[in-house]
Amino acid sequence: MLATTLEARELSKSFSGPPLFSNLSFSAGAGLVAVSGRNGSGKTTLLKILARLLRPGSGNVRVLEGSRELDGEERRRAVGWAGPDLAFYEDFTAQENLMFFRRAAGLPAGEQQIRERLAGVGLGAAREKRVGAYSTGMKQRLRLAFALLCDPLVLLLDEPTAGLDEPGRELLAAAVAQRRRAGPVLLASNDPRDFVAPEQVIELGR
Amino acid sequence: MKAGSALSRVLVICGKDAAQEARRRIALASVLFFAATALTLVSFAVGPSGFAREERGQLHAALLWILLFFSTATGLPRAFVREEETGTALALRKVAPGILVLAGKTLFNFFLFLAIAAVTVPGLGILLGWDVSSPGAMAAVLFAAGYGLTVVSTFLSALVARAGQKNVLFVLVCFPLLVPLLLSSIAATVAAAAGQLAGPPLRVILAYDGAATCAAYLLAAAAWEE
Repeated sequence: MLATTLEARELSKSFSGPPLFSNLSFSAGAGLVAVSGRNGSGKTTLLKILARLLRPGSGNVRVLEGSRELDGEERRRAVGWAGPDLAFYEDFTAQENLMFFRRAAGLPAGEQQIRERLAGVGLGAAREKRVGAYSTGMKQRLRLAFALLCDPLVLLLDEPTAGLDEPGRELLAAAVAQRRRAGPVLLASNDPRDFVAPEQVIELGR
Repeated sequence: MKAGSALSRVLVICGKDAAQEARRRIALASVLFFAATALTLVSFAVGPSGFAREERGQLHAALLWILLFFSTATGLPRAFVREEETGTALALRKVAPGILVLAGKTLFNFFLFLAIAAVTVPGLGILLGWDVSSPGAMAAVLFAAGYGLTVVSTFLSALVARAGQKNVLFVLVCFPLLVPLLLSSIAATVAAAAGQLAGPPLRVILAYDGAATCAAYLLAAAAWEE
């Protein structure tokens, strides 16, 4: 299996004001990267830029598998992302949501496979429940399942422990511990307890 | 792992919109309610014998396209606006490129347009005593013009989805872009009602469809992705 690297070069971003960050460069291989900083320092924005959900003001982001740069659909599926503003179709069950998103991503989505993924985040028993009836913690677990949905090489998690109970935090920690062995995991949080022995720290807003 | 084809992904997105609509029936109910109300008011105001027979063709065709335009303007902007309002746009952006999302939503809106037309055209026929001599030609006009109408309005829905005053903006932007299509559609409808397949206006409609498709294809990413 080839090593995966996430490379950011001279990233800058501003929203009608002073830049959130400018000329930010880093390279992340397998392991945990802690993205920290005060509220409004640009953690969410940075992760969205890395996930290609936002365009940077300048600079670029590359995902490399070995020495080969991933692009297009391959790149889209290679990066898993979850953030606090990620929402789901509330009229649909969790199972229907994940089946839809995986199929929309162009990947096969059997019922059994999705059932196992939901069981993996502790939502096995609630898989047929409408997402609109989910609690905050259950939605957070569903976000984690969404981030892992396309078996990404790079995992971007923004405030993943917000609203999670203790078993939920343990489940997340286990998922991060497993994923960081295979590829880069970038975790943005205000809570230092979320960063267990990170290989790299990106501090924004200093 | 083999990735699904673009067509299958388009169908998945269209199917999701259809499933949502089947559960909530918001777009279909509001659009059909608008069409039924307008149809009833027009039939009472104009009636089957309010105008001379030779003038009725133009009048009926114009009324039909006014009804179709405003009915679609009521329901079609929902396509993208709902995704933005409920926050599901981010998840959709993460899994599918703009062109596939636009194509899936256009397909669903086209079916919605056909449902509106299936109510409006026979409704006008019954309430206004409108005889369509060539149903085949009428169907061709509805398909061709309906396609252009849905492509443009779905694309504009993506453009205005994150703007303020989106509903007003949608109609204001839609109107000038759709006037050439609507004028040609009226001319082609008059001909179809008289039993002819009008060549020149239909060619204009088909050219419009082609141009609208190319523009939507080229601009889909800019319209949908941030």
